Amino acid sequence: MTRILTVAESEFLTLVRSKTFIFGIFMMPALISIFFVFMEYAQRHIDREDRRFVVIDGTGGLYDVLAREAEHFNHESGAGDDRTGPHFLPTRFEVNGQSLDDVKVDLSNEMREEKLFAVLEIPASVFEPGGEASIKYYSQNTSYQRLPDWIEETLDAEITRRRFRTAGIDQARVTTLTKPAKFETFGLVERSRDGTIVAAPETDELKRFGVPVFLLTLMFLAVMTSAQHLLNAIIEEKMSKINEVLLGSVTPFQLLMGKLLGVGAVALLLALVYFTGGLYMVFEMGRFDLINIALVAWFLLFLVCAALTYGSIFLALGSACSDLRDAQSLLQPAMILVVLAYIGSFVVMRAPDSTLAVAMSFIPTMTPFTMMLRMSITPTPPVWQVMLSLVLAVATTVAIVWAASRIFRIGILMQGKAPNLPELLRWIRA
Amino acid sequence: MAAGLRHNHGPSAPLESRPIAASFRMSAIEIRGVTKQFGAVTAVNDLTLDVPEGAIYGFIGPNGSGKTTTIRMIMNIILPDSGEIRVLGRHSAVSARDEVGYLPEERGLYKKMTVRRLLRYYGRLKGRSLAQVDPIINRWLDRLQLTDWADKRIYQLSKGMAQKIQFLGAIISEPKLLILDEPFSGLDPVNTSSLRDVVLELRRQGTTIVFSTHDMSTAERLCDRIFMIFKGHKVLDGTLDDIQARYGHDTIRLRLGGSASVLDGLSEIESINDHGNYQDVRLAGDPQAFLQKLVACTEVRHFEITKPSLHDIFVRVAGT
Repeated sequence: MTRILTVAESEFLTLVRSKTFIFGIFMMPALISIFFVFMEYAQRHIDREDRRFVVIDGTGGLYDVLAREAEHFNHESGAGDDRTGPHFLPTRFEVNGQSLDDVKVDLSNEMREEKLFAVLEIPASVFEPGGEASIKYYSQNTSYQRLPDWIEETLDAEITRRRFRTAGIDQARVTTLTKPAKFETFGLVERSRDGTIVAAPETDELKRFGVPVFLLTLMFLAVMTSAQHLLNAIIEEKMSKINEVLLGSVTPFQLLMGKLLGVGAVALLLALVYFTGGLYMVFEMGRFDLINIALVAWFLLFLVCAALTYGSIFLALGSACSDLRDAQSLLQPAMILVVLAYIGSFVVMRAPDSTLAVAMSFIPTMTPFTMMLRMSITPTPPVWQVMLSLVLAVATTVAIVWAASRIFRIGILMQGKAPNLPELLRWIRA
Repeated sequence: MAAGLRHNHGPSAPLESRPIAASFRMSAIEIRGVTKQFGAVTAVNDLTLDVPEGAIYGFIGPNGSGKTTTIRMIMNIILPDSGEIRVLGRHSAVSARDEVGYLPEERGLYKKMTVRRLLRYYGRLKGRSLAQVDPIINRWLDRLQLTDWADKRIYQLSKGMAQKIQFLGAIISEPKLLILDEPFSGLDPVNTSSLRDVVLELRRQGTTIVFSTHDMSTAERLCDRIFMIFKGHKVLDGTLDDIQARYGHDTIRLRLGGSASVLDGLSEIESINDHGNYQDVRLAGDPQAFLQKLVACTEVRHFEITKPSLHDIFVRVAGT
């Protein structure tokens, strides 16, 4: 056991002192922050062009609305250096008996020459309720959505207003009458020991989706980080020919277990760092009801299972390969297992008490993800299911670690071509 | 070919081990009837060997002859298909592992670790505490003039320094048995000499040392006993004197006044090893008759009947 702990300590210290790990730990929050800062900046600075567009108005009345609203929009966007958005500059186009097709060809040429950004064609019959007539928007830059979205929103409001007026219906009253009924979701009402009624807790999106997705993603990140490190470490040891030196002091099983425990500890450290960040956010939001100590304990338990299970798979496969390129191709099926467990858990989130969700909880490679997720949402699974899945997860981990040590024992001394699956199975049986 | 040779290196007729010298009491390693196959290839065939305590035992043999496989089986890194191996009186190197230092042929170091951390790690893997291992690290670093490099990372070291650190990694736990697979390969003469002194010092302290080598002169100088394996079979095992005696006094060292070409065509000569200034020839006939014949055709400045060198014996066995 001392040898295992010595290897584990070395693995742990090597990883947590590495720049990759330190960079990796802060990368996720940093990337999210950068994303938001960039989006904010982009919103204010990137789209500040004049968007000139021509309106062929068959109704004769909607152009004025567009021109008025555009003026308002442009005013909101500001001017000069303080400008934070585009300016929409509509121009009325009179067809004057010309062929509409010829007009559109001419205007398209102007768009190609970038004299014009878009052309809007509004049919005369657009006010007819239930009419089939559609407003047509032409542009070279079809991926730019801000202008067509604004036009659609502006015209839709005006057309609807006019339709109500034509029909002699009070639109404000209709809006009031069609306002959706307020719908709130709660948990269960309880009676406390002193007989008083404990009101049902109100559930919200954060509790229903935020916490489970946070836990799920955290487990995925921790598993991927630790498993990837194991792979790199074992390949480096193999390429540097360190393994045989180590095998003079420890058995392959001790070496494997030491490495697994080391990265298991790293996975826990990673989780604790992110939990600390999560706690900070909870305190900032004043949402102390989101803290569930029991859930955190279960999460850590399942995280260790997942880290050991996937770590041993990665380690066994890595030990069988001579270089990283070989390993990457051999590891694709293992990566698919992790991704499947992660993505599959989102299916569980939709119906946590479904037969599929229960079945997935007992698939060994998915157990840590799906069961942990089910425990974080209501209805929580029955105790027997949790215990059974835990036993399964532990048994699977032990079995995979054992099989991995068999592969590892042979693999770390092998050089050359990576083995195929039948060969790996033969190594396990050897 | 000499009759003795034909008798000695047939695969089915390995030499018997010579009686263990009186100074060696117990066997540090006992190998009994060990066989190892890799697919259709028999790497080691029915090997029996005793490495006495306190000895320096040289494992020699051409590439692919089974040296490393034997060493790996001793270290329990690979398991024999049949037979038994006892190390320091225990059933396998696993139970004796803390008392065995091992420097494999293929060896590397963690490039980003510092020298001290690496040696501590190796020491702790052998069950030593930091309190035990730190003074040993300091002593050996000082002895090999590496103290200034203790806190440097491995990738900052020269190749020679890294090789010394690899060597220190094997001895840092002060093992009773030290197994070195090609310990001097790739070393320059200065480092070779330095590490050879360390080996001799460890031997004086009572460490049993097994090392494999291709360098016959090193084996001749250092080893109490020599074991040669060829195509998986033991073909030599004994002290250097025993082995040389077994191969007879049929080697003549000659220094001639004229060209060595006069030796060509002399029917008594079985082989010539021309060193330029002198020649080692192996005779099939009577040395006196050969000398008379030689004097008749050239000036003979030096004529010495010698034992065959280990190199010659190696070449004779491996070249067959």
